[in-house]
This record gives sequence, structure tokens and C-alpha cells, in this order.
Amino acid sequence: MSELAAQPAVAGQARAGEVVLAARGLVRGYRMGREQLAVLSGTDLELRRGESVAIMGRSGAGKSTLLHALGLLDRPERGSLAILGTETTKLRRGARAALRNRQIGFVFQFYHLIPELSALDNTLLPWRITLSPLQWFGQRRQLLVRGRELLAELGLGDRQRHRPSQLSGGERQRVALARALITSPSLLLCDEPTGNLDERTSEVIADLLFQVGARRQHTLVMVTHDRELAARASRCLLLSEGRLHAMDASQHP
Amino acid sequence: MYRFYLAGRYTFARPVSYLAMVAIGLAVMALIVVVSIMNGFLAETRSFLRGTTADIVVFPIQVRSPYSRESLERVVREHPDVRGACARLVRPAVWKWHERGSIVLGNSRDATHMQVIVLGVDATAELEATKFASYLADVRDPQYAVLDQHDPFALPLSEIRNATLRYADLPTALMSEVMMSSLGLERGDAIELVTVPDQALELDGKAVNPASQTFVLAGGFNTGHYNHDQATVFIDRDEFRRWCGTQHEASEIYVAVREGADLNRVRDELRASLDDAKLPSDVETWEDRHHIWLGAVENERNILFVIFLFFLLLVCTITFSVLTMMVQQKVRDIGILSAMGATATGTGTLFATCGIYIATVGGLFGLITGTLLALRINDVKDAIESAFGIEVFQKEVYAFTEIPVSIDHLLDVGIAATTVVGAVLICLIPAFRAARLDAVEALRHE
Repeated sequence: MSELAAQPAVAGQARAGEVVLAARGLVRGYRMGREQLAVLSGTDLELRRGESVAIMGRSGAGKSTLLHALGLLDRPERGSLAILGTETTKLRRGARAALRNRQIGFVFQFYHLIPELSALDNTLLPWRITLSPLQWFGQRRQLLVRGRELLAELGLGDRQRHRPSQLSGGERQRVALARALITSPSLLLCDEPTGNLDERTSEVIADLLFQVGARRQHTLVMVTHDRELAARASRCLLLSEGRLHAMDASQHP
Repeated sequence: MYRFYLAGRYTFARPVSYLAMVAIGLAVMALIVVVSIMNGFLAETRSFLRGTTADIVVFPIQVRSPYSRESLERVVREHPDVRGACARLVRPAVWKWHERGSIVLGNSRDATHMQVIVLGVDATAELEATKFASYLADVRDPQYAVLDQHDPFALPLSEIRNATLRYADLPTALMSEVMMSSLGLERGDAIELVTVPDQALELDGKAVNPASQTFVLAGGFNTGHYNHDQATVFIDRDEFRRWCGTQHEASEIYVAVREGADLNRVRDELRASLDDAKLPSDVETWEDRHHIWLGAVENERNILFVIFLFFLLLVCTITFSVLTMMVQQKVRDIGILSAMGATATGTGTLFATCGIYIATVGGLFGLITGTLLALRINDVKDAIESAFGIEVFQKEVYAFTEIPVSIDHLLDVGIAATTVVGAVLICLIPAFRAARLDAVEALRHE
């Protein structure tokens, strides 16, 4: 077992069949002037290890709000949210950040890479955030190997030193995917991961998402408008009026 | 780990950061150069003000009867911090060339040149207690130097240029090299010193008889203080008493104090000792004598402090602007870092570290360039003057041959350190704002 693999996870790695995410009655709204706008009104969701779910819905339905809440970036007003059995709504900000760092990976529509960093440095950013300088320099060699292997696995073996501005949209999204996977999180949250890509590149990214997910047994939550992409998920849910409803992706307009 | 790493990437990848570093560096550099030059001026000014004045001067208050010189000197020398004391007699006089007609004070310019302060001194005591030896040794042109520095008033008869005066048993005098060279006088020339004798003052209602005496110049001296040298003549103390017929044995006592002793304390103790010995006297340190000018010098330091505050304000404004701009440009990155697991404290520290990098590099740059420029300021001045044909530093105005510089490394490091600390403290404001940004809002930032 490598030293990295031996790193203690904040909430422990998920075992097969284990519930990775359990959301009950999530409520979140926003104030728009004098009006209170309810976005999530009692949303429930339970996901097990290796499961993938696509969340669809019209623009403004609250898909990103739900994703941010599931990713512990936002705190719901009511309801409970457990990640790997740890109830997160009462956790302090530091503990939520640590849980996010080790158990949750994000992939955004607009990649959100740090422009000053190379592909490899962007990939290793979550490790830099969690490790102290001493720990980093102690494990630097192993981490670099791991980052290079991951980028190579995603087809970026020869682009590791390139900065985001020197990469195509598809390559940037692959770097973002590598960054999301580098800490081997239990939960991968993708916000329209192919929304900014052409059809062919979208297919490549979708293949990677599901292939890598199948290999690593991540639990995947994906917000998308792309019915073909949604159809590849094990479950497809429609977010409407603040609640999730089961749906058939091929029938969604 | 990411704080220092990303702060470095953010800072050194942006041209505006380098501009801020250069701006801070230039501010620190300018301040160090100004402080060094100002300190140089202050040191020169203090030296100028001090002139030939002793550490402490005792002015006996001889209202009823003259004090005994020996008593005065004994009381002064008994103080443990006094390393030497010598009595002087002082008298204003006018001088003229020997046998060149009467004194003509036809205009203010000539009158000024004719007036001198005559100091009656004991050469042996002066050599022990004052810088008299160096005044004699510092004469540049040998033709004006005394023949024997241990007995400066001695002059062989053969050196007296006017042969008719050689056997007149005339007393000798020392005139400054500046006066002798400008007036065309040489060693062995005779001058006449004219003053009002003490007795004349007691003749109520009667005409005052000036006391006139011919002196032969035994040589010159050079104190380096032009104002002093152009109006001072030294003669032997006993000759002084005979010349003006005074009963007084001491007009003032020049006191040399041991290195490091507190002048004010010694002054007060001397004053008390003289009072106890029934020799009441005014006692002044050299700083007391020039307290108005020295106050002005100190005021310069206060002005410098105000200038420093303005520089600090400038540096803080620059750093604050650059860091605020950086935070504004990096709002989305703050959201990304939060999504990766960065805490608010970590994000704030990241931007504070950017400020530390900018301020530290700028401060070091300013400290090094400022010190180098201060060290070579006269070379730079010469280069500018020769390149542009202009006079940057007017020697006639300041009475210095070159720009005076006094580099205080501790003070310079203090200036740079205070600037860096000020810049870092002001950086905490935008860093705090960055830390307070909502992660979701930051991710949605356009």
C-alpha cells in the first residue's frame, strides 16, 4: 500500500453498496428584493457507492444550488445531509472544507482551472491544499508520479506542463477531471461537464467520466441538459418545484 | 502549503506586482537617501555649530572683584569627569597693519574685516585641554605655520621682517591662516591691536584712551571654521593683561570633559561646586550656547518623520490598491479553492502572503538601492552635472565641498522594516475581504 493510499480519509472511504450521500428534506431559498424565492423545498436524494445520477431540469430550477449544497459549498436552511454517514449540516466550516477536500470532487462547466498553474499543478492543487509544507515535501515525489499517471490516463501525458491558456476546451475539462479525481473522492459532482464543449469532445469527456467512474467506483452526480449524457447515468432525476422526480431521460424535452 | 505556493504564483506572474515592488522600493530608496543626506547635513551643522567651543565653558560672574584663575581652575579640575581646563581672557579689538597710518573705518566692509576677538591664552594649558595642537598642525601652507608647535608664541628675532622691531622686545600673536593669506601677511610681520583698557571705563566723563600694542605674528592656525578664523587672534595670556591693563585673570574657563560623560550633569555639578567655593559662575555646555540652532536641527528631524509618514502612506496606498485589484481579479479562484477544500482563513492568508511578498521584495530592493545610492551620491551628482551641464549642489550656498552623507544602517533597516510592516498590515484588509467571500457567489462571478 502506498503512503498516499494510507492517508486517513476524513470520513473514511466508501465500501461497496454503502450509502455515500443521503439528503433528506433539503430546503434552500434566496431573497430576490422583497420576495423569498424557494429553490429547494424538501429535496431528498440517496446515492450508493458506484451509482451515477443525472439531474435535469429547466434553467433556474435549482440544479446548481442543489449541487452546491451536496458539495458542502452552501448550507441548506433546513434538512439533513450526510456524506459517508457524517451529518454535515452541523459541521463547522473547517470540517466541511476538509470533508470537501478528501471526499468530494468538482467538475464545472467552465473548467475553473487556475490560469497561473500548469496542468499538473492544477491537478495536484487539492493535495497542496490539504498537506502542510512538511507533508508536501515529504510526499512530493509520489504525488507528482500520481498526478502524471492520472493525466496520462486521461490522455494528457504530453500536456502536463501546459497552462490552461495553452489547452483546448476538452483538454481543460480533462485537467479539471484529473483535479477532481486526484484525492480519490467518494463523490464526484459535475455541473454541466460537457455544456461548454462541442459534440465530439463532449462524447470523449462523457466516456472518460463513466469509464473512470466505473473503474474507481465513484458516486457520480451530474447536472446536465444533455439527454444523451443523462441517459448513460444509472438514474435520471428531474428537479422541478424544488423536488427531485424520477424520469426517463429520453422523454425529457 | 498552497498559500505560499499560490501566493508566489499570483504575485510573480503579474506585472502590476512588479510595479508595486518597484514603487515601494523607490519610496524606501528615496527615503533612505533623503535621511542619509539629512543626517549628513545635521552632523555637519552640529559640527559647524560646535565650532571651536569646548565641551563646557565656565563664565565667572566677577561683579565686585576678579576671581583667582588658579581657584577657578582648581575647582573645575577637581570634578572627576573633567580631563582638562584652561582659562582664557577675551577682549574685542580692532587691528591694523603696523606703521600704515591710522585705522580707517570708512565703510562697513572694511570695518568688519578690522574687528577681531583677541583671546589671551596659556599655550601649555591650551595644548592639554583643547584642540589647540591640531589648530596649529592643520595649517596647510608652511609659510604660515608656527615654528614650534609646543611653544607657538616663540619667534626668533631673525624671523621678524621689520629689522627696526627686532630689538623692541615685542609680544607675539597668532592669526589664522585664512586672515594671513587673504590680507597678505606673513610670519614675522607686525600688526597693532587696539582696544579699550579696563581703566578707561572707570574714568567717568573723561575721554577713553585706547590701548594699542604692536604684536609680531609668530604664525597661523586653522580651526576649519571660517567664521571663527576670520575674526580671532591668539596672544599670550600675560601679554593680554599688560596690553589692556585688566585685573581679571580669566574671562572664561574652557573645560574638556571625558568621553561619554553626561555634559548636562557635569555642567550642573560644576555650577554647584563653584557656588560652594564662593566663585559663582554661569556654566554652559556647547549645546546650551547653541540651543536655538540645535532646536532648529532637531526640528529637521521632526520634519523627516512627517515625510516618512507620507512615504508610508504612499506605500500603503500602492500595496492596498494592487492587492485589492488582485482579489477582485481572483474572485473566481477563491471559489475554486473553496471547492477544492480551502478554508476562509487559508484564502485570506494566501492574499496576505501576496502582500508580504510584494512588500518584502520592494522593501529589500529599496534598502539595497537606497544604501548604495547614498554611498555613491556624490558620484551620481558628478555624473548628472557632467551629463547635463547643470550644478546640482551649490557649494557656495551650503559651505560644504560635497553633499554630506551619514548612513545609519540601523535606521535604514528600521525604515525598510516599518514600511514592510505597514504595507503588510494594510494588505490584511483586502485579504480579509477575500476570506469573507461566499464560495458559491465567487464561483458564479463573471
